[in-house]
Amino acid sequence: MAALLVIEGLTKRFRGLVANSDVSFALAAGELRCIIGPNGAGKTTFISMISGHVIPTSGRILFKDRDITRLPVHVRARIGIGRKFQTPTVFDNLSVYENIELAVLATPTPRRGRHAKIMRTLDLVRLADHSGQTVGALAHGARQWLEVGILLAGEAQLLLLDEPTAGMTAEETHSTGELIRRLVRELSLSAIIIEHDINFIRDLKAPVTVLHLGRVLVEGSFAEIERNEQVRSVYLGNA
Amino acid sequence: MTAESQPARRGLFGGFRREDLAALVVFLLLAAVPLAISGYVVYILPQYMLLGVLAMSLALLWGYGGIVSFGQAAFFAIGAYAMGLAMKHLIGLPINSAYLGILIGTIGAGLVALLIGYFLFSAGVRAAYFVVATLALSIVVEQTVKSFSDITGGWNGLYVDRMTLTLGSMFELSLFDDAPIYYVVLAVVVPVYIVVAALMRGRFGKIVIGIRENEDRMTALGFNVPLYKTLVFGLSGLLAGVAGAFYATHAQFAHPVNAGVLFSTQVVIWVAIGGRHSLLGAFVGAIVVAALSNYLSSIEAIQSYWPLVMGLIFIAVIVLFRRGLAGLVESLAGKGPHGRVAGH
Repeated sequence: MAALLVIEGLTKRFRGLVANSDVSFALAAGELRCIIGPNGAGKTTFISMISGHVIPTSGRILFKDRDITRLPVHVRARIGIGRKFQTPTVFDNLSVYENIELAVLATPTPRRGRHAKIMRTLDLVRLADHSGQTVGALAHGARQWLEVGILLAGEAQLLLLDEPTAGMTAEETHSTGELIRRLVRELSLSAIIIEHDINFIRDLKAPVTVLHLGRVLVEGSFAEIERNEQVRSVYLGNA
Repeated sequence: MTAESQPARRGLFGGFRREDLAALVVFLLLAAVPLAISGYVVYILPQYMLLGVLAMSLALLWGYGGIVSFGQAAFFAIGAYAMGLAMKHLIGLPINSAYLGILIGTIGAGLVALLIGYFLFSAGVRAAYFVVATLALSIVVEQTVKSFSDITGGWNGLYVDRMTLTLGSMFELSLFDDAPIYYVVLAVVVPVYIVVAALMRGRFGKIVIGIRENEDRMTALGFNVPLYKTLVFGLSGLLAGVAGAFYATHAQFAHPVNAGVLFSTQVVIWVAIGGRHSLLGAFVGAIVVAALSNYLSSIEAIQSYWPLVMGLIFIAVIVLFRRGLAGLVESLAGKGPHGRVAGH
């Protein structure tokens, strides 16, 4: 598989604080990857540098062989990088339908094809029955799914999902895992997921990258990570 | 779940069909006025209609874009002075000087707005800071007009002729009388409303609403937010400029007051009362409030109190009907997007 995203020696310093230090990373087209790590490991900073919300101090980010290290957020979005934020960032005062419609308007979809595309997206994230509802009144889980739908309708190829199951029930978390796996498979998307929920990560059956103190500690399958002594000591303190 | 399902296209973007009907009624009524009555009303109504266009210029900025401007008078004055100066100085050309005035005033006001919008929005200036910048713009234009009194007439204002409609050398119609200019103004106002309403209902308007609702999400979707803000501000300036150009030739003067902060504030009040989320509401709001102020200030007993009365009405509307007259009509009519955008 060709690499969709290549990151070389990425470093971000906020004044004295080193949030990311010499992180190298590669993601293949169609790949799903989990990023875990204790609080302060630099996970959100890492994702923010890919989405353009944070500009790195040094290092390079290549997306589809193009250097995007210093491109503004909206240009990255246009070439296929879609970000879901930790707190759902959706249009609370608009209807579910209108939320997806705005995402479709960001793509070159001709006027005639818009409605069908909106409905297709709503089906994918199982919100078709709520299309007329105001988003602010939706359950928390549904808002998370809506934001994923917004990324899909916006034709993102790389999904950056920052804690997509935050605040969900166990059942919602489970079906979110299924949804993400299905989307990645059926629409041949790639995704980087930051998560804390260990059951969710196990369900995803995806390779895991562990960040610690801004560096890559270890990479591997979930089983490998679960057994890894270093990872255990990082999470459990110096046991 | 299925009980919740609704026709998909309703909501903030759709559901404005009622407003089309209301607009048709308003414009038909306005068209009928000179047939029914004559005198002062026919003289003054076109000026109110143009103030209505000025109000629309703010409504599309404030109601749709969530951007408040206390600088609309500046663009209105640019239109007005461009008209006056063109009609005075650009004579003897093969083109009607009034047409040039309208063109220069409209495009000039639009360009000034684009330029200011570009610098402010690409620098990330938001909310209250933007309001202050527009406030300053009003003051700058007012002072400029006052200072260059050789050209602009300073505090005395600038006398402007009533324009004449021409079509090459084949057709000529003086708009000196009140009825012809009434219909010319109406013939300008109606298409302006239709075009702007269609624009704001289409892709552009939806994007502007999206920016009002969640700027970060729009950026993360790939929209160039500062560009769209600049465009909507430019369009707003353009509309205010058109209104100013026609206002000057109708009222037969352009005055520094038309550029001032006080006048800009009045525009904000009209739009708040009329309903900032509705172009028609803002248009009607301006006509009603302008007529009312005119009437109240002509009654001797309350002459000196009328600004106070207007102020009380303004406060009442802000407190009781946050969506203005348009919101009131909407909720009286039953349906409509209830309170959906309240609080913005």
